Amino acid sequence: MKETFRSWINGETDPIEELLDSWEESDPDREERKSLSKERIRTFMEQPGELSAVRQIRNRYTRIYYIVAVLSCIFLSVVLLYTVSLMPGLGKVNPRATEVSDRYIEKGVEETGAVNAVAGMILDYRAFDTLGESHVLFTALICVMILLRIDRKNQRTGYEDYYTIRNDIYYDLSGDPILRTMGRALLPCILIYGIYILLNGQNSPGGGFSGGAVIGAGLILFSAAFGMKAADRFLNMKTCSVITFVSLAFYSFAKGYVFFIGANGLENPIPKGTPGAIFSGGMILPLDIAVGCVVSITMFGFYSLFRRGSIGMDVNYDSFSKKERKAGGEET
Amino acid sequence: MGEWIRFWIVAVILTAGILCFVLETVGIFRFGYVLNRMHAAGIGDTMGLLLIVLSLMIASGWSFDTGKLLLLIIFMWLTSPTSTHFLSMVEINTNPDIGSHVRKMRTDPDQDRGSV
Repeated sequence: MKETFRSWINGETDPIEELLDSWEESDPDREERKSLSKERIRTFMEQPGELSAVRQIRNRYTRIYYIVAVLSCIFLSVVLLYTVSLMPGLGKVNPRATEVSDRYIEKGVEETGAVNAVAGMILDYRAFDTLGESHVLFTALICVMILLRIDRKNQRTGYEDYYTIRNDIYYDLSGDPILRTMGRALLPCILIYGIYILLNGQNSPGGGFSGGAVIGAGLILFSAAFGMKAADRFLNMKTCSVITFVSLAFYSFAKGYVFFIGANGLENPIPKGTPGAIFSGGMILPLDIAVGCVVSITMFGFYSLFRRGSIGMDVNYDSFSKKERKAGGEET
Repeated sequence: MGEWIRFWIVAVILTAGILCFVLETVGIFRFGYVLNRMHAAGIGDTMGLLLIVLSLMIASGWSFDTGKLLLLIIFMWLTSPTSTHFLSMVEINTNPDIGSHVRKMRTDPDQDRGSV
């Protein structure tokens, strides 16, 4: 028992190996590339001067990294503990606690022009926070793209091309009559409802995040019901990046302008409109649209990247039929 | 008197709807197999939703909200069978011993008449 455990810890045997019905399929191209890169690293390391030079540089800098890391950690903890020590004690009355929320409730409609107090808060008083949230979504999309995107620069092999397209065809639901009919009936309703939530964020509950989520769900339903190829026609990697970049840049510039004006004590030239009308709330409506674009593109991008490793048509569909015949011959 | 009658109608229909949801919950937790559980979940998704929303429609009276509640029923009745269809399709296509749980219907009646 002990020896089994030890060999399992050392990675020599796997006790539940026979219970799992997973298997590794061999990818000759990738194996070849892996062995090539290993060979290159080994020949580089075997040269007499190289390794010691690399080690010297590494030693010199690792010490500085350690010192800087420890110092910055201590500095951050001191700052945070000092902030905590300034807070009122447990059970004591905090006179500042209701100051901000009272102001939002009393003067929110007058100052932002939005009937929906939440929209006025997140897109006017605390717009900087929402800008950070949109950038978090953007960063998440970029990280997923780094991890999952398969293209030619990412050492794409013909084998992966073949399996991507085969999975695309095997898991394709677009031929299903039930889903197709339902998609045709429901898609317009879903998209119009999402746009309504998006545009009416300053007057009723909703706004950029929820409206964008509804539109993103509609896009996912579209690509599931009518095939990935149909979605490729209007949404590919380039369109997605352009929409996301334009939305975020517009948000940053518009809000930076408002911050600049406010900090210098100038009058805001953007009209607030009558509260309750659709064109009211100053910058809230365009900012809602920008946030909604980012959210919907992020949702669709996650789906598409997890499903097939790319947004839009990156894979080589032309070489499929030839390889399919070849691989089919091998399998049988 | 009219309000009283309306209250009792609403109460009876609402109780029936809640009973449907109780049946659904018990079924989901008591059944062991996924298709049986989906069968149990279907009770609440169709009948329970219809009864509860109907009682709310009667309670709110004739107004714009009635149409909204009607749209809710239509939307749920369109979407939930679709997702159920794909759930069961995945189960039937991916479960290796599906034969021990369900009897597969053959489309050709002459092929295995008498057996199974």
